[in-house]
Amino acid sequence: MSNPLEQFEIKPIIPINVGGVDISFTNSSLFMVLAVVVSTLVLGLCLRKRTLIPNLAQSIPESLYEFVANLLKENVGIEGLKYFPFIFTVFLFVAFGNLLGLFPYSFTFTSHLTAVGSLSVIALLFNIGIGIKKKKIGWLRTFLPKGIPLALAPLIVPIEMISFLSKPFSLTVRLVANMTVGHIMLKIIAGFIVGLGVLGAVPLLFDGAIICFEIFISLLQAFIYTVLSCIYLGDALHEH
Amino acid sequence: MPQLDFSVFPSQLFWLAVSFFTMLFVMSKFIIPKTAEMIDLRKAKIDDDLEKADEIKQHVEETLEKYNKALQEANAKASLSLQKTKEELNETINRRQAELTSKLKSEIAAGEKKIATAKNKAMVKVEEASTELAVDLLNKLGFGRIKVEDAANALEALKKE
Repeated sequence: MSNPLEQFEIKPIIPINVGGVDISFTNSSLFMVLAVVVSTLVLGLCLRKRTLIPNLAQSIPESLYEFVANLLKENVGIEGLKYFPFIFTVFLFVAFGNLLGLFPYSFTFTSHLTAVGSLSVIALLFNIGIGIKKKKIGWLRTFLPKGIPLALAPLIVPIEMISFLSKPFSLTVRLVANMTVGHIMLKIIAGFIVGLGVLGAVPLLFDGAIICFEIFISLLQAFIYTVLSCIYLGDALHEH
Repeated sequence: MPQLDFSVFPSQLFWLAVSFFTMLFVMSKFIIPKTAEMIDLRKAKIDDDLEKADEIKQHVEETLEKYNKALQEANAKASLSLQKTKEELNETINRRQAELTSKLKSEIAAGEKKIATAKNKAMVKVEEASTELAVDLLNKLGFGRIKVEDAANALEALKKE
């Protein structure tokens, strides 16, 4: 049986080295680019013919739009709509990353700590940026909420800092763990299909069912990642 | 586990940033405006239609109000004229009744007067006749000859007493 972790191996396609730093274009990079291209193509094609009364294709991007807009309105408020493109992109990027990974022989970049961690760090920097832009120096209050006596600061500030920095970490681990486990399960069960001969029909059916389940998980995890990003964005914009 | 291989981190970060920001650019420049455009247009159209419906509703309400007002005015006018006619009619009736009453009264008075005169005349005649009868009776019974005039004078004298 082949190693179920083999599918997660990152292999360089075009080796690039800038100033001693390895930024090779890998299979992971390829699927990141594919996520961008495929999502743009799908939505672009859906929006080719637009009518006042939406047709079936057009209603896909429109439903996504309304969905993310409502998510922002509920978790951040009306002012959150300013950051709509960012959250919309996060949702689509993660969703397409997850879904593309479900194709046989494809690569799931959302199962990698380094990839999702990078995305979470980008989101964290974005949150810090708009937090500082909105509250100026008052943003530092994030680490010492109002009403806390100054004497407790040495205790509270590190705790708040850890909780602040653990947000992107928990976001990352949640998504990566879900994707990794799903793919390992698919791979292990797929290994039985060949090994069991005729009886392999059973794991085949099981694998089919898991694929359907994984499609659901892909969208659900993208949704959860987006909702949590919205909540953290709301925290950055509002007082505690 | 390949997930824990952090040597690929620079490459992952670089390509993720490149693809994510490219996507952010494409989404915010093309996909989102295109999607939002239709949604906004639709919303504007619905709002416009609702506004129009509101206007029509208001117009209908105004017309109905006007109609009701006109109806009320007409009713008021009609009842006023009805009352006026009633009053006029009442007045005429009362006037006629009064006229008739006074006429009847005067006629009754005249009739009563006539009756009284006739009664008086009749009474005189009855008196005369009864005097004559009494004289005749006395004469026939043999109380001497009594003239009618004397008897009448005697009756008058009796009446006076």
